[in-house]
Amino acid sequence: MEADGEEIALRCTGIERRFHGVVAVTGIDVAIAKGEIFGLVGPNGSGKTTLVNAITGFFPPSSGEIRLNEKVTTGLAPYRIASLGVARTFQNLALFNGLTVLDNILLGRHIHMRPSVWRTALYWWAAQAEEAANREKVEEIIEFMQLESVRDELVDDIPIGVKKRIELARALASEPSLLILDEPMAGMNQEETEYMARFILDARDERDVTVLLIEHQMDVITGICDRVLALNYGEMIATGTPSEVVSDPRVVEAYIGGSREPV
Amino acid sequence: MFYRLSGVRHFSYTGDRSLYRIPFERNAALALLAAAILAPWIIGELTLTSLVQPWLIWTSAALGLNLVVGWAGQLHLGYAAVMGVGAYAGTHAARSGVPWEIAIVLAGFASMVIGSVFSIAALRVKGLYLALTTLAMQFVIDWSIVHLSVVSGGALASLRAPDMSLLGFEINGTAGLYYVALAWCVLVTIFMMNLRRSALGRALMAVREKDYAAEIIGVRSFVFKLVAFAASSFIAGVSGAVLIATYYHIVTPDQFSTQVSIQVLAMVIVGGLGSIIGTYLGTALILIMPGLVAALFHGATELFDLRIGVETLAHLPNAAYGALIMGCLLWEPLGLGRLYHNMRSYLIAWPFGYLKK
Ligand SMILES: Nc1ncnc2c1ncn2[C@@H]1O[C@H](COP(=O)(O)OP(=O)(O)OP(=O)(O)O)[C@@H](O)[C@H]1O
Ligand SMILES: [Mg+2]
Repeated sequence: MEADGEEIALRCTGIERRFHGVVAVTGIDVAIAKGEIFGLVGPNGSGKTTLVNAITGFFPPSSGEIRLNEKVTTGLAPYRIASLGVARTFQNLALFNGLTVLDNILLGRHIHMRPSVWRTALYWWAAQAEEAANREKVEEIIEFMQLESVRDELVDDIPIGVKKRIELARALASEPSLLILDEPMAGMNQEETEYMARFILDARDERDVTVLLIEHQMDVITGICDRVLALNYGEMIATGTPSEVVSDPRVVEAYIGGSREPV
Repeated sequence: MFYRLSGVRHFSYTGDRSLYRIPFERNAALALLAAAILAPWIIGELTLTSLVQPWLIWTSAALGLNLVVGWAGQLHLGYAAVMGVGAYAGTHAARSGVPWEIAIVLAGFASMVIGSVFSIAALRVKGLYLALTTLAMQFVIDWSIVHLSVVSGGALASLRAPDMSLLGFEINGTAGLYYVALAWCVLVTIFMMNLRRSALGRALMAVREKDYAAEIIGVRSFVFKLVAFAASSFIAGVSGAVLIATYYHIVTPDQFSTQVSIQVLAMVIVGGLGSIIGTYLGTALILIMPGLVAALFHGATELFDLRIGVETLAHLPNAAYGALIMGCLLWEPLGLGRLYHNMRSYLIAWPFGYLKK
């Protein structure tokens, strides 16, 4: 699928990923335009996370090509891909325990900072200004994500719904051009889900990010996505606008035949 | 009350990140520093040289190990060997006429180079395997020191270190040597305090907590583990050299054995992973441990007419370190530093204990 005339943020061509002979995804061709909120749906085990892992460099594709802003990134290490402006959140939360919310979000600024031993030793002269400048960016995000009240708490003791928000805040702190969210609303109640949807829309509108969103709740997908790709058994079964995809017979079939409730 | 966060307002991000957020704590730290500076006039010479000074030097060393184990989360069983490299490098440099202030820095760099080379190999594996590799490093370095007579002067030899002098001033009195140790300890402590609020410290903790999540925000975990090993080896090397220059005055191969590595690790674990004040407390406890255990068993032998051989008595402190480490891991994995932290949290809220924190 091609969105003509638009700038492409992410382009995947012929992506396949196998794990010891098991084909987790295959034949993925997708191009996401800048500024889009692009949904990725499919029953459990259909390869959504695997595709994201291929894009972010965790498990590079076995074959195929990935381009970010038309630059080939296939096979680059995750830290390189991060420095090219890709941020993601994890399906099972990956905050750093033992650190405060503030330090977690500050870590999102890592690629914009220059950590070193001598800067640490000569903190007052070599690091203090940089810390304050980055703190300012982080405070903007804390305000944007409404996390002021937990700023100084350890992430360990925070409820899961807020943790998901902190992880999004950490991802946003790196000022990414592509933001990948792996089930950011999982485990949230209705109200929290609506807030999260609002944050994602605002992030796109105010912070110029392109969003790749994995989500099981179809009302969220239809509510905020511009286009959607549906996977089943690692293959593309439908693409298009949310309403097209949701009513596509193969998608309905996949969900009824799959482990999830029909949509 | 004096111990409060409320009413303390920081109007800048820099102020919010100051080393002590509570004025009382800053004043207490300054008072402690003043006491440390006046110590030669306050406490007896024997206490100063046989208790306080080794405490400061071993605390500096243990803080360096805490950087790797507590901050970066990598188990290290060969730390004493790295100190040994610095001790020999510094002593040899000083013996060949290099001024001590340079010899000490050279010692740090020698340890840093050797520690980093070993850790490049060691960091290809994780967890327990890494621990075993660092233990192997301890054996290799021990063996090299003993068997290369250019280094040690032979297995049973001991090398005399030249008298200490810094920037042309001879430092020979007990107070002078104590100040050298104190200065080094203060420097390491300040570095570790800065680490806690710097990008480097955060990156290390990210690697410790979740290396895959660290990678996704752009932290190269291999590089940062290496940086942790290098910095910690530098601290080890200087501490080793300071230990020889101001305290032992001679260097022998058995000063930096496997057993010493375990001792320093015990200081870190009992003190508390990642805790600075905990490292001070843990080091104190481990240092007075042999004395305590001996006194305890001496008392017991008298009381119950037990017969404990000298041999057994010599091994008891080791058993006690082991028990302490196990006890810590079982009941308070964050060690004495955590106990201090709990007390602090209690005081901050006192008398409104029902408030959180
Ligand atoms: N590291 C791995 N090793 C082996 N097999 C894997 C690995 N990662 C994923 N798979 C397999 O790939 C397939 C796709 O899994 P994936 O996690 O991508 O699904 P998903 O669409 O994200 O599902 P869910 O909705 O449950 O998150 C599954 O069959 C899974 O067992
Ligand atoms: Mg998944």
